[in-house]
Amino acid sequence: MWAQGGVTDEDKLSRAQARTVIGRVFKMASPFRKTMLVAFLCVCVTTLCALAGPLLVRRGIDQGIRAKDSYSLNISVALYLVVAVVAYVFGRAQFLYLNRTGESFLRVLRLAVFRQMQRQSMAFYDRNKAGVLVARMTADIESMAELVQWGLLQFIAAGMLIIFALVLLATLSWQLTIVALLVMPLLIAASIKFQRDSNKAYLLVRERVGANLSALQEGITSVRVIQAYAQEGETIQKFTRSNRELFKSHEHSVRVSTWYFALIEFGGVFASALTIGIGGWLVHRGDITLGTVVAFTLLLSSLFDPVQQLSQLYNTVQSAGAALSKLFAILDAQPELAEHPGAVALPATGRLEVRGITFSYAGSETSALNDVSISVGVGEKLALVGPTGAGKSTLAKLMARLYDPQNGSVTYGDVDLKMATMSSLRERIVVVPQEGFLFNGTIRDNLRIAKASATDDEIDAAIAAIGATEHFATFPDGLDTEVRERGSRLSAGERQLVALARAALVDPAVLVLDEATSNLDPGTESEVEHALERLMTGRTVIVVAHRLSTIQRADHIAVIADARVAEYGTHDELIAKNGRYHALATAWQKSQATS
Amino acid sequence: MTSIESDSEVAARLEIEDTQRSEGWRLLREALTAQRRNLLLGALVGILWASFKVAVPQMTKYAINDGIEKNGPLLRWALIIAGLGVLTGVLSGMRRYIAFRESRWAETLFRERLFSHVLKLHVGYHDKAQTGQLMSRASSDLMQIQAFIVMIPITLSNVAQIFAVTAILFITDPVLAVIALIPLPFVNLSARRFSHRIHPASVAVQAEQAQLANVVEESVSGVRVVKGFGAEQVQFDKLEKEADDILRESMKAARIRSSFIPAIDVLPALGLVGVLGVGGHRVLNGEITIGDLVAFNVYLTLLIWPLRNIGMIVALGQRAAAALVRINEVMSTKSEIVDPIEPKRLVSSADGLVGAVKFDKVAFGYSAEYPVLRNFSVEIKAGESIAVVGATGSGKSTIARLLLRFYDTQSGHVFLDGIDVRKLSLKDLREQIGVVFEDTVLFNDTVRSNIAFAKPSADNATIERAAKLSGAHEFIQRLPLGYETVIGERGFSLSGGQRQRIAIARAIVADPRVLVLDDATSAVDPSKEGEIRDAMKTVMSGRTTIVIAHRPGTIALADRVILLDEGRVAAIGSHDELVATSARYREVLANMTAASDPERVTN
Repeated sequence: MWAQGGVTDEDKLSRAQARTVIGRVFKMASPFRKTMLVAFLCVCVTTLCALAGPLLVRRGIDQGIRAKDSYSLNISVALYLVVAVVAYVFGRAQFLYLNRTGESFLRVLRLAVFRQMQRQSMAFYDRNKAGVLVARMTADIESMAELVQWGLLQFIAAGMLIIFALVLLATLSWQLTIVALLVMPLLIAASIKFQRDSNKAYLLVRERVGANLSALQEGITSVRVIQAYAQEGETIQKFTRSNRELFKSHEHSVRVSTWYFALIEFGGVFASALTIGIGGWLVHRGDITLGTVVAFTLLLSSLFDPVQQLSQLYNTVQSAGAALSKLFAILDAQPELAEHPGAVALPATGRLEVRGITFSYAGSETSALNDVSISVGVGEKLALVGPTGAGKSTLAKLMARLYDPQNGSVTYGDVDLKMATMSSLRERIVVVPQEGFLFNGTIRDNLRIAKASATDDEIDAAIAAIGATEHFATFPDGLDTEVRERGSRLSAGERQLVALARAALVDPAVLVLDEATSNLDPGTESEVEHALERLMTGRTVIVVAHRLSTIQRADHIAVIADARVAEYGTHDELIAKNGRYHALATAWQKSQATS
Repeated sequence: MTSIESDSEVAARLEIEDTQRSEGWRLLREALTAQRRNLLLGALVGILWASFKVAVPQMTKYAINDGIEKNGPLLRWALIIAGLGVLTGVLSGMRRYIAFRESRWAETLFRERLFSHVLKLHVGYHDKAQTGQLMSRASSDLMQIQAFIVMIPITLSNVAQIFAVTAILFITDPVLAVIALIPLPFVNLSARRFSHRIHPASVAVQAEQAQLANVVEESVSGVRVVKGFGAEQVQFDKLEKEADDILRESMKAARIRSSFIPAIDVLPALGLVGVLGVGGHRVLNGEITIGDLVAFNVYLTLLIWPLRNIGMIVALGQRAAAALVRINEVMSTKSEIVDPIEPKRLVSSADGLVGAVKFDKVAFGYSAEYPVLRNFSVEIKAGESIAVVGATGSGKSTIARLLLRFYDTQSGHVFLDGIDVRKLSLKDLREQIGVVFEDTVLFNDTVRSNIAFAKPSADNATIERAAKLSGAHEFIQRLPLGYETVIGERGFSLSGGQRQRIAIARAIVADPRVLVLDDATSAVDPSKEGEIRDAMKTVMSGRTTIVIAHRPGTIALADRVILLDEGRVAAIGSHDELVATSARYREVLANMTAASDPERVTN
C-alpha cells in the first residue's frame, strides 16, 4: 500500500520524454474528452465539499453558538447536510466517469498496440522476444490500470485539495497558515526521502521474490532428479537460504517505512499542538476567533494528507510513464512489409524465380544469403539441403515473402512479390512450419485461421484432402473438439495434421515446407507422411529437407552452404558430381550401416 | 453446485469442509503460537498507541476550554499535546514494524515447511500435481495469509481504540454520543460488504486479462502461422472481444467502487452534522462546553479508520481461511514412499563385487486398471551391463523407477545386492543408483555444482575426472567461465548433447553401484550420437549398468539384451542370439531403426 510499482533508474523518463508522453496520452484520449471534462468537474465539486465541512463547523460555532443565535446554527447544520449529500452524489459520479475514461483509454491503447504489432514483419518478431511483446500488452498496460482505477482520481483530487486548502487557510488566518507551512517542508522532505528509499527497497524485494520463485519452481520441477540422487536435504537448505534472503529484504523495506510513518503520525499531532498553542494566543489577542482555530485543526489534515498521497502516487505515475513510453515505441515502429500502393494480384500460376538476392537479418553483420538465384517451375519439387545455419530456411522464408531481400527479387509468374497484394500472396504461397502450432479454440477454429470465411463444407473438404477425416472423427466432438492450451490435447502428429489441413484449406499453388527434425509419435508418423504426400501432389513445392527419403523424391536439389547455392541438380547428377552432396549422402549411408 | 445434492450429501460435504477449515486454522494457530511473544508485544504496543491517540482530543478539549476560553496556561496544554504526538509516533512505528516483521517471518517459515514437505512427497504425487498449483500455494496463498497476520496487531489496537472512544463519548454526553455513532456502524458494514463484492469483481477482471494475455501470447508465438495465412484480422477480432470484456468487467468493478467508497466517505460526515446540530443547541442551553463539542468532532474522525479496517479484516480473514485450506491439503498429504522403521544396511563394497540387481515376479502399473509390468523377473549380475529393449509403453523406463523406489511394486520384489529395496533407507538406496534420465535436468547453477549435484563436497579433481570420462571436459573449458559458468534455464544454454554429457558426469560423481542410462539421444544432433555413445561406454566398464535403449546403436554397448513385451521378458540373451532366435526382437529393432531415422543428413 505504500510502494506500488518500483521504478528502476533506466525506466525514469526525462522531462522532455515525460512531456511527449503526456501530450500523446491526451491526444489518444481525445475521443473521451467530454467524459474527461465531466469527471474533472465532479472532482472539483467533491473537493470543494470536503473543504466546506470544516468551514460550516466554524460558521456554526462562531455565528451560531458563540453568538447565541440558534437560527444561524440551524442554517449551518442544514448547509452541512446539503454539502454531504452533494459530496456523495458527485463522489459516485467522479468514480464512474474517471473509470470510464481510464478504462476506455486502456482499451484503445490495447487495440492500437496490438494492431501495430500485427502489422510488423517477421524481422520485428526476430528483434523482440515473444515474452517482451506479451509483457507490453499485459503487464505494462495493466500497470496503468491501478492508476486508472483510483490513482488518477487521487492524484487530481490531492492536487486540488492542496491548492484549495492553502487558499482557504490563508483567507481564514494568514498567521496560522504560516505556522502550518512551517511544518510542510519537513513533511515534503520526509516524503521524498521515503519514496526514494522505499523504491530501492521495493526493487530489491522484487528481485528477491523473483529469485525465490525460480528456486521454488526449480525444486518442484526437478523433484525426480533430486530424489533420485537423495539430495532433498541439500536442496531444502539452498531454498532456505534464498527464502531467508527474501525475508531480509522484506524486513529492510519495513524498516525503511517505519520511521516515515512514525514521523507522519507525530507530525499530524504536532501541527495541531502548534495550531492550538499559537492559535489560542492569537484568540487571546483578539486576532482570530475560536471557530477559526477549530476549523484550522480540522483543515490541517486536508493539507497534510494530500502531500502524503501525492508522494505515494509518485512511483505509480512514474512506472505508468515508463510503460507508456515503451508502448509508444511500438506504436512508432514502421512496418517493413507494408503492401505497395499499386499492388496487383498474383497470377493463378507461374514460375517462382529468385534472382540474385542478398539478405541479412537485422543486427547481424554477416549475410544469411549472398547473391542467390534459383528457379522453380510449375509443379516442380525443390529440396533445399545443407548444414544448419547455412541459409536454407532463410531462402524458403524469402520465397514466401516473410522477409524482403535487401538486393535482388523474388517473382512469381513474373510479378515481384513486393508488388503483390498481401491477400493474393497468402493465397498462392503457403508456408507450413516445422511444428504444428495451434491456437486456443476448436480444431475447426484452428483451420479458420487460414481462411476466416471458410464454410463447414470447405473445412470438411480440406480435412478430406489430406486424408485425415477418419482420424478426427474418432475425437469426442469431432472437429469441434477443444484443443486446450496450445493444443496440448493433441499429439505432435495430430497438430501437424491440423497444420497441413490449414494449407489444404487455402489450396495454394506453392507450398513451402520446413521438414520436422524431431520424430513424431510412431502412430501418426505415417499418417502425416501420407497427408504431406497428398498435399504436395500437383503443387509447386519448396522443402527444407532433413531426410534423404524426402530429398530423393524431389525433382531438384539445391545444396545451400555459406549463404550461397553450392550445388544444384537432380540426385543422380549431384552424386555423380562427387561434391558436397555426395559427401552428405555417403555420411548418411555410413551412419545407417553402423546402427 | 449444479447437481442436486441430498441433505445427507450436503451435510457430509459441509462436514469435510469444516474439518478442512479447522485443520487450516490449526496450521495458522501453530505458526502464531510459535511467535506469540512478539505478537503479544505488538498487540500491547498497539493498545498503548490507541490509548495515547485517544488522549489527544481529550487534551485538545482541555486546551480549548481551559487554555483558550478561560485564558489558562495555554503553553502547558500545547506541550502536552506535542508530547503525546511523540509517543503515538514512536508507538505507531513500532506497531507497524512488529506487525510486518512477524507476518513476513510466519510466511517465510510456512514456505520453507511447504517446500520441504513437497520435495519429500512420493513421485506418484508429483505425477498428478501441477507445478503451477504448487507454486501458487507457496506464493499467492501464503501472501493471503501474510496479509491477514499483518492485520492482527492493527485490528487489536483498532478494537481498543473503538472501545475507548465510545466510552469517552458516552461519558461526556450520552445523547450526543448516540446521535454521533448512529451512522458509524454503517461505515463498518459498507467496508465489509465492499470487500466482499469487490473481490470477485477484481478476480473477474483478472480472468479477462488472462484471456487477453492468451490471445497475445498465441499471436506472438504463432506469428509464423498468423503471417503465413494473413490471419491478422482473425486474431485482432479475438483481441478486440477480450479488450471489450475487460472494459465491461472493469466497469462492473468501478460501479461497485462508486457505490461504496463515496458512501464510506460521507457517512461519518452525517455524524458530524448531527453533532453540530444537536450538540450546538446543547452548548447554547449550557449542557456541555464548547470544548466538548470540538472534542466530539475529533473523536468521530478517530473512529472512521478503525471501523473501515475491521470491515476489511473480515474479508481478509475469509480469504486467508480459503488459502489455509488449500495449503493444508498439500501439507496433510503423506508420502507413500517412506523409510522402513528398521532399515537394513547394504554390504560394503570392500567385500567384493557389488551392484547385483534382481526383479522377482514384479507386477506394477501407474493405475490399477493398466498394468505396465506383469510377472517381470530378471537377474542382473554385479558388474554386468544389460540393455532393455521394447516398444513404446512396454515398461522400459518403469524398471529404473522401481529400482529407485520412486514407486512400490504391486506385487513381487526388487532387490539390490540381495536386500529388498523396501528394507533399505531411501538415502542409502538412492545413493547407490545413478540415473541419467531421458530428459536432462540442469539446475540454475554453475557447471561444477551441476556435476557435483549428488556429492556437493566433491573436490575439483573428482569433478574434472568425471567430466573427462563423460566427454564433457572439452566443451566445458570452452565455456566463458569454464566450470564456473552458470547454466540452466536462466544461464548459458547448452545443446542437447552437452546437457546429456553433464548428466552423465553427474552420475559418475555419484559413483553408484548401479548406473541406469535412459538413452534419450533423441534430443541430440545426430552427429553427436557417436560421441555420447563413447562416453557411455567408458562409464559403464566395471559397473552394473542398465541401458534403456531407444536406438539400435546403444544396444551394442551391453553384454546382454532384455526384450520387454507387454510387461514381461519376451526374450533375453546377447544381441546376436536374439537377432537369430526372436522374430519379435527383429521387428522391434526394425521399428526402432525407422523411428530413429538415421536418414537425416543435416550436418
